[in-house]
Amino acid sequence: MTNRIWVFMTYGSIVGIPAMASLFVLAHYLFPGIAYVFEALLALALITNFITGMREIYIVSKPIPDKLVVEPVSHVPAEATQRGQGKAVNIVISRFNPDRGIIEKKEYSVAADKYTSVLSALIKVKNYQDNTLSIRYSCGMGICGSCGMNVNGRPSLACETNLLKSAENGKVEVSPMLAHPVMKDLVTNFDDFFEKHKAVSPHIYKEDAGEKYGHGGISRQSREDLVKFLPFSYCIMCGLCLDACPVENTNPNFAGPQALSQVYRYAEDSRDGKGEKRIEMVNSKDGIWGCEFAGACSEVCPKGVDPASAIQLLKAKKIGQMLDPNYCQGEKSGADGI
Amino acid sequence: MERRECDILIIGSGIAGMSAAIHASHLSKGKLRVCLVSKLHAMRSHSVSAEGGISGVLYGSENNDSPDMHAYDTVKGSDFLADQDAVEILVKNAPKEIEFFDHIGVPWSRTGKGSISQRPFGGMTIPRTAFAADKTGFFMMRALYDELLSYGNVEILHEHYVTSMLVKRGKFICAYAVNLADRSGKVLSAKSCIIATGGYGRIFNFTTTAHSSTGDGVALAYNSGLPLKDMEFIQFHPTALVPTGVLITEAARGEGGYLLNAKGERFMERYAKSKMELAPRDIVSRSIITEIQAGRGILHEESGLSHVLLDLRHLDPEVIDEKLPMVKELTMKNINVDPHNEPIPVRPGAHYTMGGIHVDVHGRVFLDEKRSVAGLWSAGESACVSVHGANRLGSNSLSECAVWGRITGTEAARHAMSAGQNSALDAKSIGDFYGEEDEKIYELLNGSGSVNPYKLRDEMHGIMEKHMYVYRKVGGMKEAKKRLAKLYSMSKSICIEDKSTVYNTNFRDALEIKSLIALAYVATSCALERKESRGAHAVVEHSERDDRKWLKHTIAVKRGDSVGMYYSQVSITKWKPEKRVY
Repeated sequence: MTNRIWVFMTYGSIVGIPAMASLFVLAHYLFPGIAYVFEALLALALITNFITGMREIYIVSKPIPDKLVVEPVSHVPAEATQRGQGKAVNIVISRFNPDRGIIEKKEYSVAADKYTSVLSALIKVKNYQDNTLSIRYSCGMGICGSCGMNVNGRPSLACETNLLKSAENGKVEVSPMLAHPVMKDLVTNFDDFFEKHKAVSPHIYKEDAGEKYGHGGISRQSREDLVKFLPFSYCIMCGLCLDACPVENTNPNFAGPQALSQVYRYAEDSRDGKGEKRIEMVNSKDGIWGCEFAGACSEVCPKGVDPASAIQLLKAKKIGQMLDPNYCQGEKSGADGI
Repeated sequence: MERRECDILIIGSGIAGMSAAIHASHLSKGKLRVCLVSKLHAMRSHSVSAEGGISGVLYGSENNDSPDMHAYDTVKGSDFLADQDAVEILVKNAPKEIEFFDHIGVPWSRTGKGSISQRPFGGMTIPRTAFAADKTGFFMMRALYDELLSYGNVEILHEHYVTSMLVKRGKFICAYAVNLADRSGKVLSAKSCIIATGGYGRIFNFTTTAHSSTGDGVALAYNSGLPLKDMEFIQFHPTALVPTGVLITEAARGEGGYLLNAKGERFMERYAKSKMELAPRDIVSRSIITEIQAGRGILHEESGLSHVLLDLRHLDPEVIDEKLPMVKELTMKNINVDPHNEPIPVRPGAHYTMGGIHVDVHGRVFLDEKRSVAGLWSAGESACVSVHGANRLGSNSLSECAVWGRITGTEAARHAMSAGQNSALDAKSIGDFYGEEDEKIYELLNGSGSVNPYKLRDEMHGIMEKHMYVYRKVGGMKEAKKRLAKLYSMSKSICIEDKSTVYNTNFRDALEIKSLIALAYVATSCALERKESRGAHAVVEHSERDDRKWLKHTIAVKRGDSVGMYYSQVSITKWKPEKRVY
């Protein structure tokens, strides 16, 4: 697991510095009058964030739980049933065995050409070599979000990951995501993940529900308004960002990059009636302030959603609110009623 | 016996299923207990793969469009097999649905004025396809799922596979579902049930559909003795990516893309002079295959598939980046081709099944020739209303899902609010049903079967690709039917290697493959009988449409191991059949 610790750190500095710079620009744009105060605060917040983040990352990462003893690799020979021609690639699959409560590594050999994805190779293994392998998949085109897993230790969508390009010395390692409870083989349980998403009330709020279901008419939304939230609406709920997130892996109560990015997505939608009150819902240690800006979520997101930026933007919005002379603690309304 | 009692049971979580759940909940002000069952995580249904857009007349006064023109295009596109009363319902309600999706958060692509952009689509005379880049279905699904989460009365059962349904005395009673997580079975009884499980595109191997598009709900109805309609009509999308079969949206041609053969000719000029690349899909697909058969295709070495080229190089680079980002994403990730610089290899792939469960214009499932089943509806691709007839126009499927999602959700809610409690007689039937189903599943897992399901499926794929593709021959279909009948009987003795109770996908695959083989057999049987060429059903020996004999829907019913067939009338309101030229 040590590899992953260093990965997080690198991602943090790659994503963090440009993101910080862009926030400064944003501050100038949003609050030209008090930009300097704002910048100082923001810089302080981010630097603190960085330092604490790095320390946290040093200390803890999610190890494979003790009970999950990793068994030695067992070789399964390539079979005559292999389809197609091409290069032989060995796939080492970390399979969770629910009956024994352990991960067993098994190796299979498949024939691959330059178009073979990791998913199609796994399906081949299941169909022609070992029917007992469990994989979750559906669309095969990177839009349903089913096939998240670790390929060579990196959280990836199997259907979008090219097998030959991933192979190192003719070998590819595949393992389940660990931030979600493992069920069987490469399949993980998403219940908590879905709950976290649901908890942030991810839907357009209208004061008058009749407007939503009746004939409110087609809204006018400018392209400028559209692009404010569009990048964050590409989330396919694959769960990879949670798997990569160092905070998520140490604090299960953390709302997580997926849910937080959706808070931003709905808060920025010109059709939403709840506006900034959405931020109150996640204005907590397990919400936006839990994020330590490692940036791993954005690095692994297969759809370019950039949850890390969304969370920093939410933080900036919150600080902006607090700097507003009219802002008063007593007046703030909670998440209730969204 | 684990039993879940609810007011409305919805099987399937695509756009139709989730729309139904939302509208039923809204209508009952959150009082009805709605249970939404999905064999996947609910937000992952195949509707997410819809790319190009949703049709509907939004700004008719600005661009001289009208619902009637939309209806005419649809009817002509259907090769006059669509029921015109149903088509009128579709075009009248589609704009309202697009508006609803606007209210629940779909990030529609916008014009400079802030109104919803609409693009040209195949067979549509006026640009009336609203879109959110080229991920329209995905955005609609996310908006629906998120909206659904606001209802406390809706219980979502993720990853539950419905294996069987009890219809007794002309009434829906309950369904049996297996929880994939631990393979436990439960009975779901409800006053109203909506089947919205999508199509059966996976009877083919080279297909744009998700691995999960296995027609489970259609097979469910068929196995319960309910009639299916127009099963022989299967749409082949002209531009499936070679070699993976992934969909390259028709919007690529809507935005101005060309189709080129090996000689670099825009060959559509020979087949549809006025519409060119934007002719309906059946025509474009036949044109591509004709070109390939005439030796003007290109051979893809690794896969052995012949193809033509979709050329976007002449488009403004911004059009690709802003309006077709997914095309670029898919070609880059799948075959490492940048559409800005290189043409895309494409060939027709199974895409949509026009056929499905025989329903009336309200989505009510027929019991026999005249009566419908009390408390049972179907919507979306699993149903055949029919608005698409022999060939669906691109972007009409999302409107169909939304329109009939709402209609069936509303009807099911009204029915549930007025229906009484289940009778004691029903309670006994439910008990017996549970026992039988439990036993069937035990038998499937532990029986003496020896047939590997994946081998069966591969054999079916071979047969379907060879004999039931874009052009069909009478002899080929006869051969296909004979061999599928054999596979159908073999599918009764499937062997499941995986005995695990946890997330056993071998078990689920076996159930899906059984569904697929039954449906492939039905589709082929229906196709063999239809002695004409209409829409997507093109028979070499009967190359003309024959309105005198065949302007009628095929209805198929299970009769033991064979398929019983009869025919029903096509509803014609305003548009008399005419020659179909583009």
